Amino acid sequence: MTSTRRTLQPLEAYEPLEPYPPRTANLADILERILDKGVVIAGDIKIDLLDIELLTIRVRLFISSVDTARKAGIDWWETEPALSSRAARDALYDENKRLRERLCELETTSDHRRDRHKESETA
Amino acid sequence: MTEPTAHRPDDQSGSTVCVFAVCPASAAPVLSGVAGHTGGGPVRLLTAGPLAVVAQNVPAADFAPETLPERLGDPAELERCARDHHAVITAVARTAPVVPFPLATLYLSDERAVAAVAERARGFVRVLDRLRHRTEWGVKVTAAPGAPAPAAPELAAAPADGRAYLARVRGRQQEREERQEVAWRTAERVYAAVRRTAVAARRLRPQDPVLGGGGPRQLLNAALLLDHHRAAELRELAGTLAADPAIARHARIEVTGPWVPYSFARLDQCDEEERADAVL
Repeated sequence: MTSTRRTLQPLEAYEPLEPYPPRTANLADILERILDKGVVIAGDIKIDLLDIELLTIRVRLFISSVDTARKAGIDWWETEPALSSRAARDALYDENKRLRERLCELETTSDHRRDRHKESETA
Repeated sequence: MTEPTAHRPDDQSGSTVCVFAVCPASAAPVLSGVAGHTGGGPVRLLTAGPLAVVAQNVPAADFAPETLPERLGDPAELERCARDHHAVITAVARTAPVVPFPLATLYLSDERAVAAVAERARGFVRVLDRLRHRTEWGVKVTAAPGAPAPAAPELAAAPADGRAYLARVRGRQQEREERQEVAWRTAERVYAAVRRTAVAARRLRPQDPVLGGGGPRQLLNAALLLDHHRAAELRELAGTLAADPAIARHARIEVTGPWVPYSFARLDQCDEEERADAVL
């Protein structure tokens, strides 16, 4: 008991002089702390979180521009793959679709050619 | 013998254990009313020897390596996740010294989380001792918005010739550089003064100015570890410095906090930073 008290005593009046302000804190300040700081020990699941700078830029960009831009009828970020994961998905989907169409097209033409080749052989 | 099943997660495969922080088991905080991450179970304590691990079961699907980064790509989701994480740590810190973990420290089971912490129990005890009765404060210095335009009486007149024009351009460039130099020096002066109130200080990377809005450039983004009783002193000092005309002309000072000592919770070289920083 005494040995634990020496190193890990419970705190009488630990309460900070001012209460911590969790809700009012600036998001960029929180992000830089919870992404970059604190004790890092290896977890079982390795998550590769985005770079703090990138996140901050994204968030700030959104916060500062979404409202004003919407008012001006601008919504480019919703289709910009670098800024919107949905747009990134859409871009992949579009590309996939285009490739499938192209493949289909190529297959049809090569089928045609083969058919024509066969026809000329049998003739 | 009855198994204590009350707090067992009902479905081990569908959930992952998210760890928020470590605090002394003897100062176990009250966690009722702390929500943790959306969709997760209650925030609870696991015991790892002399330490308590603040943890929560969260849906494995939402916290998988494939899904979480994508989820955090959505600013609203990122903000929610960040604030939820921060709120748990802040709640613990109200009644106990705490070592915070970064967002998304995840384990497959309670046993794995406890083992990971227990393995480093001595290090945690050392860090907790060091952070006891101390809080982190942020001091940010930004360039003053309306930087003073030095007296340039001839500026209104049109340049007499090409040479005069070039001289003026050079003059402006020089003036800008000088202004910048003074702003940096002002920030250094502020840092030197405020760190005297702290037991440790770290300079964080300056945050970018608000994009698009052309916000003020950040000259200093410092984190200070303060004994509780010196917080008022820091605030007062920051106020005095901000009111000093020699500083006010070039820079704005902002104090944030108190923060849980995120920037000073490190298992390695926890005494090194002051010395390392002093070299700067």
